[in-house]
Amino acid sequence: MSEKLIESAKEIIGKLKGRGLDGDVFGVNCRNVEYGIKKGELTDSSEYDDVGLGIRVLKDGKLGFGFCTPGYEEKGVKQAVEFSKVSQKIDLKFPEEEHVPKVETFDSKIEQVISEGKGADFTQELIDGCVSYAEDITPTMGGVEIYLGSEIVANTNGVLLEKKRTAMLGSVMATIPGEKTSITASEKEVSKKSDIDFKNVGERSAEKVDSMRNEVTLPEGDIPVMLESRSLNQLLGFGLIPSFNGENVRKGKSVYSDKLGEDVAHSHLTLKDDPTQDWGIGSSPFDDEGVVSRTLEFISHGILKGFMYDLKEAHKSETESTGNAIRANFKSPPDISERNLVLRGKDTPREELLPDGGILVDDIMGAHTANPASGDFSIVATPVWLIENGEKKGRIEGVMLSGNLPELLKTIQLADDYKKTYMSLGGRSLKLDTPSARVDDVIVSGK
Amino acid sequence: MSFKEIIDKVVADGAAYCDIRKEHWNKTSLTLKDGVPEMVAQGEEEGAMVRVFYGNGWGCVGTNDLDDIQETANRALTMAKKSARYKESETDLADIEINQDKIKIPMKEDFRDISAEEKLSFLKELEYNLSKNFVKSTDIRYRDSLVEKEIITSEGTHIQMEIPRLVAYLIVTGKSDTIQRASEGTGGTGGYEITEKTLDKTNVVLDRLETLLEASTPPSGKMPLIMDPHLAGVFSHEAFGHAAEGDLVASDNSCLKGKLGEKVASDIVTIKDDPTMEGYGSFPYDDEGTKTRNRVLVKEGTLNDFILDRENAWKLDLEPNGGARAEDFRVKPLVRMSNTIMEPGDMKFEELLEEIKGRGVYAKASSGGQVSPAQGTFQFNAQESYLIEDGEIVKPLRDVSFNGFTLDTLQNITGITDKLETGIGHCGKGQTAPVSDGAGHVLVSEVMVGGRE
Ligand SMILES: [Zn+2]
Repeated sequence: MSEKLIESAKEIIGKLKGRGLDGDVFGVNCRNVEYGIKKGELTDSSEYDDVGLGIRVLKDGKLGFGFCTPGYEEKGVKQAVEFSKVSQKIDLKFPEEEHVPKVETFDSKIEQVISEGKGADFTQELIDGCVSYAEDITPTMGGVEIYLGSEIVANTNGVLLEKKRTAMLGSVMATIPGEKTSITASEKEVSKKSDIDFKNVGERSAEKVDSMRNEVTLPEGDIPVMLESRSLNQLLGFGLIPSFNGENVRKGKSVYSDKLGEDVAHSHLTLKDDPTQDWGIGSSPFDDEGVVSRTLEFISHGILKGFMYDLKEAHKSETESTGNAIRANFKSPPDISERNLVLRGKDTPREELLPDGGILVDDIMGAHTANPASGDFSIVATPVWLIENGEKKGRIEGVMLSGNLPELLKTIQLADDYKKTYMSLGGRSLKLDTPSARVDDVIVSGK
Repeated sequence: MSFKEIIDKVVADGAAYCDIRKEHWNKTSLTLKDGVPEMVAQGEEEGAMVRVFYGNGWGCVGTNDLDDIQETANRALTMAKKSARYKESETDLADIEINQDKIKIPMKEDFRDISAEEKLSFLKELEYNLSKNFVKSTDIRYRDSLVEKEIITSEGTHIQMEIPRLVAYLIVTGKSDTIQRASEGTGGTGGYEITEKTLDKTNVVLDRLETLLEASTPPSGKMPLIMDPHLAGVFSHEAFGHAAEGDLVASDNSCLKGKLGEKVASDIVTIKDDPTMEGYGSFPYDDEGTKTRNRVLVKEGTLNDFILDRENAWKLDLEPNGGARAEDFRVKPLVRMSNTIMEPGDMKFEELLEEIKGRGVYAKASSGGQVSPAQGTFQFNAQESYLIEDGEIVKPLRDVSFNGFTLDTLQNITGITDKLETGIGHCGKGQTAPVSDGAGHVLVSEVMVGGRE
């Protein structure tokens, strides 16, 4: 599917070289398929194909950007050249050819899934799994998403790289209707491979909402808090990761500016961006500027090790790109972003994390309101369960959590339930491999 | 083959309905960070989406390859047929007036005629106005877009429209003991003339940042709250408006389900969603070709209407009112808001203040939030807040967040001032939609305020 794209990219590079200009091209050719559930039924089926190229050109030391679809290369190049006039002066060096690591990101079975329209069948499996659990539980939202795509980066130094990626996602929101308000809980599973047990995802969503029927009150006094990975992920994404962004560091908008080499977290904790992890949700062999992927440690055994850079910020900060350039689509120039975030450390079996009971937080609302510069957050937690003797005693409504992310890292205790996932919130998408965790330095307040 | 012929063929193959929405986009975006142009992009693109309704199933396929619409339509039909196999319950599209129309929203000053250099020098002027010693960093964003749409349906609707939109954001950051951030946006449906409003906002963000730098952390607990028009507008959109979206209501995902004609708010509350008024979220026809009209969602405290596309109008046995919007040709239309307004009341701001005995909070502008329309819960953060004691504004606060049940909070609205102010936003629901919202100052007698104390 990518021949047309490669031809088009080569033509653009040819045109740039013909004008004696440096530049690069990022091309995408992908298919996104989506099936939606409403009220216990498959209700929506849709897909779209996207093909296009983003062009960057360096003219008189200024970086211009334009985009086009195959067949309109000349127009795209012209636009990029034209726009370079209003751009900043920057002495950007595009990457040279380099050895590209092998990273597993493509499952050919997903091509078959798409061509046979199997997503509809998977969606039905999600539904069946959920409704088979209890009579009054319905999957009210959710569905299946499938991605198949090819991305290329080419530049005037002769680099021409291609990566193919696949991904699948199944999600269900299970609901028990109620008088004043209904009770809901959701489950999600993401994979780069065609290996999701959709029926099981449906069952798990029903099991979760079933355990929420009974409402209990938040006990008085200090109480241990366990965050499911998806709650932790949101806090990490909005309250912590911005502080590892090289631009924020240079501009003093990071809590970690001037702290390299210092103790910033519990000595067992390692947080890294590892796009070379096979089948990692955000993995791929090179970034969206053609910089070859490598593991970047942010925190290693509690010590602050590094920050992330794309080519432009690396130039400004007088360092090297760490391969952290990501483009939202071919129409956007690259931006600095984590790619495949991995959190590791000394872990405790999940069941042993709350030996004296506590609360278990499944999901949170408002993580994107965390202060990205300070890491302060104040959010609503829901669903929340009261845990006693390792068992869910019932749900607690109206729980609020507040605290500071960098502070939490100093006492955090990880569970052993590592999970690869993806989430999209507040205009950002995060790809991670993290466990759930116990956090003690949070203020818990109830209604 | 023409689009009309492609549609006819899909219908001849058994589809109950088919439409094609073709769009051509012209977009410019400029970002000036600390005076440096960080992101400049300009481009055009076009594409189309084919929607096919077969049996009770849908198939919607989008492409940016316009040479291949026949193949795209075939895929949509195949998809709809497969989907129909799993879709047992009956569904249909509520009838609408069949329209042939060509409409162009005017630009007093066409932004395509303004050079990139000129747009950039406008941003530099804004940047200059924001340069104060307490400002550590500035981020100014400008976006304009012109979309030419053509919607053709198997029922004979044929709409051609041109919608220009422009938006600018000002974001400033400063540092005292912690880093604080203030932002304001202006925008509208129209041309470059909209930028005139942006210059006035520089003082608003500067004052806000200066206040935040000396603000203290808030108390927590239940207390009365005054929302400024921007925050009250965001509340109307987020906490109430999403729950009034017909797709959520019809699929049991809204706390307003089954409540039409019932009291859902105090008597002084009237909320409308009006795509026909002037605003960032305006449009003459929706993406199914339905002519838009004002929707009075809450009338003096009583739930009066929902926002509806054709299918959900059919499910709820109501009339479609132009609620279907798609971000672009890649995606299918969803039920979305437009310009959501809580109508002003008859009080003055001082009168709201006097109502507060003991401790309360005055909160201005939103810095984000999240809602659950199904459970009817919300959580918001204000950008700028003040502690109120016995009717007096005492001191500035920061990081104020508040949460509660939407319906309880609407019932607790005990005062609204007489002056409407509107703001702009980008609403997310898997797709992004330009919207606006507005209100007067709104007094809520009790809400849960959470801080870091
Ligand atoms: Zn919204």
